[in-house]
Amino acid sequence: MVTKSVKNANYWQVDHKIKNIFEVKGVTVLPSPEAWNKFKWARKWFAKQPNEGYFIWVKKQIDLPFFTCVSIFSKNIRQDLQNLLIIEKNLKVNLKGVCNSQKRDLNCGHKARGKIILKEGSSLKYEHIHSWGEKDIIQPSYEFLLEKNSELDYTYKNLFAPKKLKIKTDFDLLAGAAANIKIIADCRQSQTEIKDTLRLNGEGSSGQIQLRLVGRKNSRIEAKSSIVASSAGKGHLDCQGLLIDKDSIISLDPKLVCKNKLAQLTHEASIGKISEEELNYLRMRGLAESEAIDLIVNGFLGRDRDEQNSTT
Amino acid sequence: MLLEVKNLKVKRNDKEILRGIDLKIKEGETQVLLGPNGSGKSCFAQTILGNPKYKVTQGKILFGRKDITRFAPEKRVKLGLALGWQNPPQIKGVKFSKLLEKISRGEFKIPDGENLLEREVNVDFSGGEKKISELLQILALRPKLVIFDEIDSGLDLKRLESVAKIIKKELIQKGVSVLLITHSGEILRFLKPRLTNVMVGGKIICKEKNYRKVLKVIKKYGYEKCKKCKLLAG
Repeated sequence: MVTKSVKNANYWQVDHKIKNIFEVKGVTVLPSPEAWNKFKWARKWFAKQPNEGYFIWVKKQIDLPFFTCVSIFSKNIRQDLQNLLIIEKNLKVNLKGVCNSQKRDLNCGHKARGKIILKEGSSLKYEHIHSWGEKDIIQPSYEFLLEKNSELDYTYKNLFAPKKLKIKTDFDLLAGAAANIKIIADCRQSQTEIKDTLRLNGEGSSGQIQLRLVGRKNSRIEAKSSIVASSAGKGHLDCQGLLIDKDSIISLDPKLVCKNKLAQLTHEASIGKISEEELNYLRMRGLAESEAIDLIVNGFLGRDRDEQNSTT
Repeated sequence: MLLEVKNLKVKRNDKEILRGIDLKIKEGETQVLLGPNGSGKSCFAQTILGNPKYKVTQGKILFGRKDITRFAPEKRVKLGLALGWQNPPQIKGVKFSKLLEKISRGEFKIPDGENLLEREVNVDFSGGEKKISELLQILALRPKLVIFDEIDSGLDLKRLESVAKIIKKELIQKGVSVLLITHSGEILRFLKPRLTNVMVGGKIICKEKNYRKVLKVIKKYGYEKCKKCKLLAG
């Protein structure tokens, strides 16, 4: 499951061991415990003294995409990561982060606390990909701080949801900052809890959260998404669920909190099943029922579009 | 005989729609099925392809002498049957090129509609684009027999001629059997059927070699006249 290019990753960790760190000019990459000792100013961004995880500090413009990979290869591993990414003013960064387990039955745990700071005028395109085993327990918790006029394009994709998944993501936007957030999870036999909050704290800030959740094989998915506007900003929540079988449950709870009369907040939410007409149409194109379902689900999750974007 | 339908009776939601259909199509033969709206033409096409919404209560469908009456749709397609839908559904998020790649059973030329490849299947397609999309999917399937359900509806004359040319060149001239379902008969300007069947009220009431004669009667008197015609087949 590890991608072929993992040896070229800028940060590559397997279990608790760092396999590779590849620095480029203008970017500092360190294990988080080392950064804690080396940069006292950075300590305020960590919740506590870190044991493992990465510290990435982008100080100059880099043209190539940045790549991190945190994997689990062994049984019963419990990772407890603290990651910190800082992007200095007016820089543009493209980051791909992969977290996965190498096999489906490792019975592992992955807890990650991350802080991503986008300084004024900076921009981050971040594709965050998770792929786990059937017995894993996964708890990522990320906070994004978007300073003035910064931009975030964040996609979290869970291609194989684990036994238990608890994701918490917070986005704090200052004046003029913009965030486009997609959270995608394909859940099979999974208990998934998603909580994301977008805070529009500065005038002219704007953000959109898109949730695309698929529940199959006795999955339980609970998603709470909220946008809180303290300033005159714009926000939109778009939550959609797709139930594949009768034994799964999806609960969507979109919430808008407006504390400023000039803010504009909207939301839409829906949960549906696969249309029989679509299914029959694809079967009449020679696809088996399971192939037709996969094609429809991939379309719903936007994988086709993502493949296209990643090749451009 | 490639397709043989024997005394086919079909219900949808407990309502009988087809009331005993007999139809035979040979290899490489083109036939037409005419009929007014609601006569059961689309139900017939969907039943032949195995849409589970339609329940066969009596009769048989033989394809290449094999009884396929209870076969799943995908199995029928693999045997060489294909259907161009009248109103195909949208498949959101799935690129048309991806669908073609998935269903394709060998290389095929794309004679028209390259502009559709990067778009989502049937999403915001015009009427004409939907017909081209159906036609391209059928070419990708490399079928032995194709049923086109109202391929001529909503097409302007130029587009209709272009679609008919593709059907002729890529299917008929290659020995593929074709059943054209139409209520207007527009496509018969370009494709000449060996046999014309007229369906009214879930029954084929006329089988006639001269399609012009049938069209003339229908255009002049409507399908009601067919019921009283001496050529009545049922």
